[in-house]
Amino acid sequence: MRRISQIKNGRGGVKISVGMGSCGLAVGAREVYQTIEKEVELRGLEATVIPVGCMGLCYAEPLVEIHKKGLPDAIYSRVTPEIVGKILDDYLNGDVSGAFALRDRTGSAKGESEVPLLEEIDFYKHQVKWVTRNCGIVNPESIEDYIAYGGYLGLSKALELSPEEVIEEIKKSGLRGRGGAGFPTWLKWSICRKAQGEPKYVICNADEGDPGAFMNRMLAEADPHRVLEGLIIAAYAIGASYGYIFVRAEKPLMADRLEKAVNEARRYGLLGRNILDSGLNFDVEVVRSAGAFVCGEETAMLAAIEGRRAMPRQRPPYPATYGLFGKPTIINNVETLAHVATIMADGWERFAKYGTEKSKGTKVFCITGSAKRTGAVEVPIGITIRDLIFKIAGGVREGRRFKAVQIGGPSGGCLPESMLDLPIDYESLTSAGAIMGSGGLVVIDDGNCIVDVARFFTAFTMAESCGKCLPCRVGSKILYDTLTRIIEGNGSESDLEVLESVGRFMKNASLCALGQTAPNPVLSTLRYFREEYEAHIKERRCPAKVCKKLLNYVIVKDVCVGCGLCAKQCPVGAIVEDVDGKYRIDPEKCVRCGQCLITCPRGAVVKG
Amino acid sequence: MVKVVIDGKEVEVEPGTTILEAAERLGIKIPTLCYYPGVFGEATCRVCVVEIVKSGKIVPSCAFPVSEGLVVETDNDRIRENRRLALEVILAIHKIKCQSCPRKGGYCELLELCREYGVEGIPVCAECPLHEDDCLLVKGELCLGPLTVSGCGGICMYERRVCEGCRGPVTRSDVIEEAVKLYMRYGINLDRVLAKLGKYYSSSPQYDRVVKLITGFFQGKSKEVVDS
Repeated sequence: MRRISQIKNGRGGVKISVGMGSCGLAVGAREVYQTIEKEVELRGLEATVIPVGCMGLCYAEPLVEIHKKGLPDAIYSRVTPEIVGKILDDYLNGDVSGAFALRDRTGSAKGESEVPLLEEIDFYKHQVKWVTRNCGIVNPESIEDYIAYGGYLGLSKALELSPEEVIEEIKKSGLRGRGGAGFPTWLKWSICRKAQGEPKYVICNADEGDPGAFMNRMLAEADPHRVLEGLIIAAYAIGASYGYIFVRAEKPLMADRLEKAVNEARRYGLLGRNILDSGLNFDVEVVRSAGAFVCGEETAMLAAIEGRRAMPRQRPPYPATYGLFGKPTIINNVETLAHVATIMADGWERFAKYGTEKSKGTKVFCITGSAKRTGAVEVPIGITIRDLIFKIAGGVREGRRFKAVQIGGPSGGCLPESMLDLPIDYESLTSAGAIMGSGGLVVIDDGNCIVDVARFFTAFTMAESCGKCLPCRVGSKILYDTLTRIIEGNGSESDLEVLESVGRFMKNASLCALGQTAPNPVLSTLRYFREEYEAHIKERRCPAKVCKKLLNYVIVKDVCVGCGLCAKQCPVGAIVEDVDGKYRIDPEKCVRCGQCLITCPRGAVVKG
Repeated sequence: MVKVVIDGKEVEVEPGTTILEAAERLGIKIPTLCYYPGVFGEATCRVCVVEIVKSGKIVPSCAFPVSEGLVVETDNDRIRENRRLALEVILAIHKIKCQSCPRKGGYCELLELCREYGVEGIPVCAECPLHEDDCLLVKGELCLGPLTVSGCGGICMYERRVCEGCRGPVTRSDVIEEAVKLYMRYGINLDRVLAKLGKYYSSSPQYDRVVKLITGFFQGKSKEVVDS
C-alpha cells in the first residue's frame, strides 16, 4: 500500500509529470524534462519526475503537471526550459496563478480562483475519459504505475470467468470494432472461438496510417499496458496461444513503449506459461511493419507477418476461420483492445451507458487541420460533428471560416456545414458519404480549394495502393489525373462524369477497403461542393483562389504608391512600371509565386 | 457438398469451389481476362465480377468461394456497367500497339470483350486477321486500319481490301502517334492520308483535333506539343 501511495503521490509527496508523447516531444518536452530533473536536484528537492503520455491537449504541449500534498494539482501548458525554474518556485511557494488548469481545488494556494479546473475548460468539459483515463497520469514505461491505477484488474476478473462468459460480457457491452468498419467484437471472437484449428492467433492492429489520426499512437504511448491487457483477455476468450502486435515503424515511440510493456508483463508473469495460475499460456511478439498504408488491411497484415508482400486477398474465408498461417485469427484495433480491458475491469453496464442504440460507448477522435484547438478527445458516440468542432475544438482559427470537415482519413468523406448536425456513428456517417474510419477529423477552412483537397487525398491513396486489383491501381490514377486537369484549368464537363463513374467502379469492384473507400473524398466533395468543381471547369476560376493556374495577381492602381518593392522582389521580372509611375503585372510572365503579395507594404496586390 | 443458385439454376459443388467454376458446371459463361487456372488466380482484372444477391456486393467470381445457399447473378445492368468500366479502365493504361502485339494473328480477348460491352478505343488493326507480312500497308496501300475505331470485324481486310475508315477515327493521341509511325515506315505521306481522311472522318466532332494530331506527328513533334 505504501508503494501505491508513493506511485500516486511521488517521493516526498511531490510528483512532477511531463507530457512526453510524440506530440510533446516534437515541441521540446525532452529538454523540459531534463531541465526539471536538474532544477529538482539543484533545490535538493525530494520529488518523483516521470514521463507520461499525451492527455489529448496537443495544442498546449509541452504540458507539465505538478502535484504536492496540500496543494491543488496544477497543469502548466507550453512550458519551456527557461520558465521551468520559475514555475517550480511559484508552485512550491503556493502560487498557482500561472497554471493552465487545475485538477482539484484545495483553497490553500494563491491565485487558485483565477485558474479554471481541468473539467471546466471547453476542450475537456464535453469529454468522457473512459479508455483514455490513464493518459497523462501513469508512467507508460512502468507496469507498477499501471497496476497502482487499477491495471490488470480486468484480466484477473476475466480469468475468473469462462471464455464464453467473457465473450458474453463483451456482447452485452455492445462494443464494436474501433478500427473503422464497426464489426461487433464479440461476434468476431465467437466465430474464431468455434473455428477449427490450432494454434489460434490474436493480433493487435497498431498500424495506424491515416494522415490526421493518432488516437492509437496516443493510447499506446500513454497507456501501453491497457492495450496489452486487452490482448491477453482476447487471447483467453478465443483460446489463442500466441499474439502479435503489429506496429508502424514510423511510430517508433509507440513501438518502443509496447515492446517495453510486453517485456515487463513477461517479467511479472502476465505473459508466458500459466498466467496468474489460470492455466492460460500466451505470449506476444511486437512486429514492426515497414509502413505501407495497406498493411492496416487485415489480410494484407497477415501476409506481412507471414513474410510475404503485403497485399490483401479475397475474403471469405475470413481471418477468424482462416487467418495467420492458415489458422483462426482475430485482428483487433488498439482502441478496441483498450476498451476490452476497461470493460472487463469496470463492467459492461458502465460502458453501455454511453453512446447510441446501435453504437455503444465512447470513441477517441483526433481533431486536426484548421481547428483552433487540436488534439485527441474522447466523447460518447453519437455526439454531433458541430459539438466536436465548435464546442470542443473551439471552431476554426481566427480570421477563417469553416468550410468542410474530412472525416475518416484519406478514405473518408468531406462534409459541408449543412451536415454538421449529423451525429457521429457508424451508420449515419456512411449514409452521408463519409466513414467513421479510425476517427480522424481534418477541419478545412475557406482558404482551401475543395478540388485541391480532394486531389491531396487521392494522391495519398494512389501512392498507397498496393497495385493488386485494377479499380484501385488504375482508378485512383485516373481520378488523380482528372483532378489535376481540372485544377490546371483544362477540365471539361465530361470530366465530372469520369470522376463519378470511375469512383463508383472503384467503390463497387475493389478488392479491399482501401480501394473501396479511396474515391470517397472525390465523390463526397462532388456531392456537396459541385459548384466549386463547375467554377473550375466552366469559368476557369478557383473560388478559393488556391489553384495557381487559374489565378492572376493584379495590382490595384488606386492603392499602389509606386514604391517598386514588388518589382524588385519578382523573381521573373513580370512586374513593370507603367506610364503613370505605378506598377502592373504581366500575366504572361507571372509564375504566381505570390512574392509580390507578401512584399507590398500597402496591400495593393490582390488575387484576381 | 454445398448448394448454390446461379442465375436461377441450382447446382451442388464441393466447398471451396469458386463461383466461376460452379457456373462453368452449369454451362454459364462468365467473361474473364486475367484468370488462368493453375498459373494466375489473383483476381486483378475485375472483368469476371458477379453480384451476390443477398448483400448486393460485386465480387470477382474467379476468387470468391461458394458457400451453402449462395444466390448469384452473373448478368444484370449493374454487373455489365462494372464490367464495361473495368474494360475502359484497362484500356486507359493499355499500350495500344496492335501492330507489334505478340498476340497479333491470334485471338484478342480484350477486343472481343470491348466489342461485347461497347467500349471503343482499339483500332481496326486489332481486328485484322492477317499476319504482319500480309499487312496491306507493306504493299504501299493506304489502309486506315491503324486510325479507325474497331468493331466491324475487319470485313474489308478479309476481302483483301484496305480499310476506308467508315467507323470514324480513334481519338487517343498515343494510338494516332503509333499510326503515323507506321505510315512513315511504309512511305505513306501526310497528303495521301489527309486526302483519304475526309471521306468518313469529317463528320466526326473530333475531326479537327485528329487532323491536327496527325499533321503534328508527321512533322515529328512530340505528343505533349501536339496535344496542348
